[in-house]
Amino acid sequence: MSSMDPTEIFRQEASELFETLEGALLDLGLRPDDRELVDSAFRALHTIKGSGAMFGFDRVAAFTHEFETAFELVRKGEIKPTHELIAVALAAKDYIRALIEAPDDADQIIGDAILDDLKRFVSPVGQDLLVEPDVDGPPVSESRPAGWQLRLEFESHILRNGSNPLDLLDDLCKLGPCFVVPVTDGVPLLDELEPEDCYLKWDVTLHSGCDKAAIDDVFMFVQDEMKLTLVPLAQIERAAPALALPVVEAEPAAPPAPAPAAAPVPVAAESALPPERKREEPKRAEERGIATVRVQAERLDELMDRVGELVIAQARLSQLAAAGSDLSIKMIAEEIERLAASLRDTTMGARMVPIGSLFGRFRRLVHDLSRDLGKPVEFVTSGEDTELDKTMIECLADPLVHLIRNAIDHGIEDSETRASAGKTEQGRIELQAIHSGAQVLVTVRDNGGGLNTARIRAKAEEQGLIAPGTAMSDHEIHQFLFHPGFSTAQTISALSGRGVGMDVVKRTIENMRGSIDLSTKAGAGTCITLRLPLTLAIIEGLLIRVGEGRYIIPLPAVEECVELTAEEERSRGRNFLNVRGNLVPFLRLRDILDVRGTPGQHQKTIIISTGETRVGLVADQIIGNHQTVIKSLSKLHSDVTIFSGATILGDGTAALILDVAQLVALAQSRAEKQQMSEAA
Amino acid sequence: MATDRQQDAGTVQDGSMQVVMIGLGDEKFALDAGLVREIIDPVPATKVAGARSFVPSVINVRGNVIPLADLRIRFGMPQTEDSADTRIVVIEVGIDNEPVLVGLTADKVYEVTEISRTDVQQTPRVGMHWKPEFIRFITKWREEFVIVPNMERILN
Repeated sequence: MSSMDPTEIFRQEASELFETLEGALLDLGLRPDDRELVDSAFRALHTIKGSGAMFGFDRVAAFTHEFETAFELVRKGEIKPTHELIAVALAAKDYIRALIEAPDDADQIIGDAILDDLKRFVSPVGQDLLVEPDVDGPPVSESRPAGWQLRLEFESHILRNGSNPLDLLDDLCKLGPCFVVPVTDGVPLLDELEPEDCYLKWDVTLHSGCDKAAIDDVFMFVQDEMKLTLVPLAQIERAAPALALPVVEAEPAAPPAPAPAAAPVPVAAESALPPERKREEPKRAEERGIATVRVQAERLDELMDRVGELVIAQARLSQLAAAGSDLSIKMIAEEIERLAASLRDTTMGARMVPIGSLFGRFRRLVHDLSRDLGKPVEFVTSGEDTELDKTMIECLADPLVHLIRNAIDHGIEDSETRASAGKTEQGRIELQAIHSGAQVLVTVRDNGGGLNTARIRAKAEEQGLIAPGTAMSDHEIHQFLFHPGFSTAQTISALSGRGVGMDVVKRTIENMRGSIDLSTKAGAGTCITLRLPLTLAIIEGLLIRVGEGRYIIPLPAVEECVELTAEEERSRGRNFLNVRGNLVPFLRLRDILDVRGTPGQHQKTIIISTGETRVGLVADQIIGNHQTVIKSLSKLHSDVTIFSGATILGDGTAALILDVAQLVALAQSRAEKQQMSEAA
Repeated sequence: MATDRQQDAGTVQDGSMQVVMIGLGDEKFALDAGLVREIIDPVPATKVAGARSFVPSVINVRGNVIPLADLRIRFGMPQTEDSADTRIVVIEVGIDNEPVLVGLTADKVYEVTEISRTDVQQTPRVGMHWKPEFIRFITKWREEFVIVPNMERILN
C-alpha cells in the first residue's frame, strides 16, 4: 500500500473529517451551547486546512482558513450557532469537499458567496474578521481576560520527537509580551541526567488579549505530550461561583492516556448541559481510542474467498475422516474444523462495520428535506453500533435514502394536518438497527399519516394490476407499492412520486438475500423493516435431498420441518397444508426441480417464510445443517430464477441454493390461481 | 467486435492458428487455444432445473462453480455415454462483455495443433445440419474437414 497516491490518502482522510464536521455541525443545531461540539468542528476544519496545504490543495487551505476565521466568534462563544448559520456552514463544508474532489468544477464565486454569508451571520462588523488572527491576535474586546498564566510541563521524551520547547515559547511570545520563568525542580543530579530528556518546566505570564484557542494552537502538535495549565490573569466576565479559579486543562485530542475525568469547559456552561450528552461523551472517546488499520476492501474480499475454500476443503476432510476408522485423523479433522470455523468468524468480523457510519449521512438528508418541505422533523437513530458486512452497508445507502425521503415527503403530514389530528407539530422519523438471530433488522418508522390502503387499491385497479373487487388482504394490497412504476402521489415533486424507487428498493434488498416487511396504521404512521442476512459470503444452510439432487435452503428462512401426512401426499389437487390450524400453501420440489419417478414414502415438508408469508416445500429427505459458502451462478444461468447461487458440498460436487423469495412468490401465485379456479 | 478481437488473438501473422482439436460424435472441432484454460477429467455434474438445454448443469472446478455446456445439444447431435476418452475442456468466453468460465463436454481431445488459414473453406450454405452463425470457418486438418466454432454465438 506504500504505492498509494498521497493525494488519495488525503482525500480519504478528508472524507472522514467531513463526516465528523458534518456530525458536529448538525449536533450543534440541537445543542447550541455545547462547546465540545464547536471544538470538534474546529479540530476537523483545522486538520483539513493543515493537510490540505501540505498536499498542495491551496484553494482548500485558503477557503478553509477563511471559514475558520469567520467561525472564530462562534468558538469564542460570542455568537450562538443559529440554524441559518449552521446551514451556511454546511454549505461551506460541501464546497470544501467539492474543492477536494473535483477542484476544477468548484466555482470560486460560490465559495465567495458562502464566505459572505458566513461573515454576515457571524459578525455585524465584517471587516474585523478578515484580519489574520495569528499575526497580531484578533482585536481585544472587553470580555476577554487581560492575559494568561501558563504552566508548561512537557513529557520527558519530547526532544526525541524533534519538538523544541524553545520554539514553542517563541511562538507564544508572538501572541503578546511574555514573562517566562523556567522551573528547575525536576532536574536531577548530573549522573542521573539523561541528555536527551527534557526536565525543565516553564511558568509563563502572557499579557495578551488572545483567547485560549490561540494558545492551544501554539501547542497543537505537542498537546498529547504535554500538560498545559491555563489560568486567566483577571476575571472580568466570568463569575465563577467558587473561590478557586477555573482551571482549564489542555486535553489530548485522542485520549488513550488515562486523563482525569474530562472537565474541559468552564463551569457555568457545563451544568446547563442535558444529562444525555454527558453519558455519550465517554463512549465516543473510547471509540476514538481503538487502533485501526486501513486495509483495501479487495484484500478482505480475497481473504474471504480463501476462507471459503478452506471451509469447503475442511468439510471434505471431515467427511473422509468420519467415514474412516483412524482415530488420530478424526482428531485432526475436528481440530481443523474448529480452527476453520473461528477463522471464518474472524474474517467475517473483519468485514463488519457499524451501521452508524451510514446513519450519519441521513441526518443531513433529513435536515435538508425538513427545511425544503417546511415540515419540522425530529430524526432519531438507534443501534448505530450494529455491525453489518461492509458491502451490504454500501448497498443499503440508496434504499434507505429512498425510504427516508418517502417517509418525510409522503409519510409525515404538514403542520396543520398534524395539529388537527392532535399530533405534535414536529414529525418524527426513527431509524433503527438491531440484531435478530442471523439477521439484522433495519427499521424506518415515521409517525405520519400511514398508508392509504384504499388509494393504493384504486390505483392498482386503475393500472390493471388487479380486477376490481378482488378480495385481498391489506398486506397484499400494500405489496403493490413495490410494483415497478407504481406511485400514488398525486403530484410529482422533485423528491418522490415518480413511481421509480420502491421496486428498486425491493430488488436491491432481495439481491442481498434480504426481505422487506411493511406495516402501517392509518393516522399513526408507517414502519418499514428491512431484514438482512449478516453477511453475503457464508450462510448456514439446510441440506435436503430431492430425487438424486441435493439442495440448500438458507437456514434463516426455515421455520420448521414437518412430515407430510399420507393424506396430504395423496391430495394432488389441493396444495395446502394444515399447520396447527393454519392453511399453508406448499410446493412439491420434485415438480419444480423436474425430478421424475415416484417419491419415497416419508416425504418431509420444510416450512419457510419471508416476513409474514409461509410456504411449505416438500422434499424427499432432510440431510442436515451445512456451512454454505455462496458462489454465484454464471451468466449462462441467469435465466434460472429459483436458485440464488451454488455451493460446494463435502464430496466436491456442486449443490444449488434455493431462492426462498422466488419460491414463496411462486407458491403464492399458484395458490391464488387455485383459489380463483375453485371460485369459478 | 469481441469476436474479431479473439480471432486476432489466436491468429499469427502468417495466418496460422493454435487450436485444441476435440471430437464430438463423428465430427471434429478446433477450439482456439487462446480460449482454453484447462482440460480435466469428467467430474460429477449438478443438474440445474429450468436451465436452457445446452447448459444443463454446473460443475465444481477447483472451488469455482461453472456451467457445463453440451455442444452436441446445441448442434443437434445425438448424445453418447461418457467413455474413457471423455474430457471437460474449460474455456473462457465473453458473455455480455464479461469473461465467463464454461466447461465443454468433449467425447475426445486429440491434440494441440496449428491450422493454417490458407486451408480455409467457405462455409457451405446447404448440406449442413447446424446453423451457419455458429461456425467461424471450416478448415482442413490431416485431410479431414474440421469446424472452428464461434463459441460466443453458440453460448449467447
